[in-house]
Amino acid sequence: MAISHFPAMILFSFLVSVVFGVLSKNTPRERFGYGAKVFAAFVGVALVLGWVMYPVP
Amino acid sequence: MANKVAQEAVSRPAQPKLGRLVWLCVAAWALPGLGHFLLGRKWRALILFGSIVIMFLLGVAMQGEFFVTNSGSYLQTLGYYGELCVGLSMPAARFFGYSGGNPLFVSADFGTAYLVAAGMLNALSILDTFDIAMGRKP
Repeated sequence: MAISHFPAMILFSFLVSVVFGVLSKNTPRERFGYGAKVFAAFVGVALVLGWVMYPVP
Repeated sequence: MANKVAQEAVSRPAQPKLGRLVWLCVAAWALPGLGHFLLGRKWRALILFGSIVIMFLLGVAMQGEFFVTNSGSYLQTLGYYGELCVGLSMPAARFFGYSGGNPLFVSADFGTAYLVAAGMLNALSILDTFDIAMGRKP
């Protein structure tokens, strides 16, 4: 299966966020909130770093 | 005095036997989520099983590399133990004919990252099983 960078990163972030959410918090609401935050952090940091590194040859 | 001892016995959960703890951890290693399932956390078990196994299968589909211990590289050896944490999925993939990846395939690096991450997530799942069995977590 050939996959591009961005979908690979989104899939990776989603699966890791689900596991982090399930393992770290105790109620479904807390889990959902934490998982969403971790997912947003993964994707956000990756996009910011991508743009920061864009001018670097 | 007797009242205090009785109160402490009520507030502190019973410690599981060592054999049961080992069995739970081995089960959690062998099949992601099985430790939680045996502890009665069925939904948590299902979500962990789904996430970790899907991650492993995506890694295999992307031709991720199975590391070996005799390469002479510490990083590859660490990678081997990281992937081994995913349990019986690794020998099962070999049994069904997966040769251990093709490093020249376009998504192979992503696949390797998925395989190692699946192992690491299962290691966290094993630790969570241990904590639940010890009564440290609900």
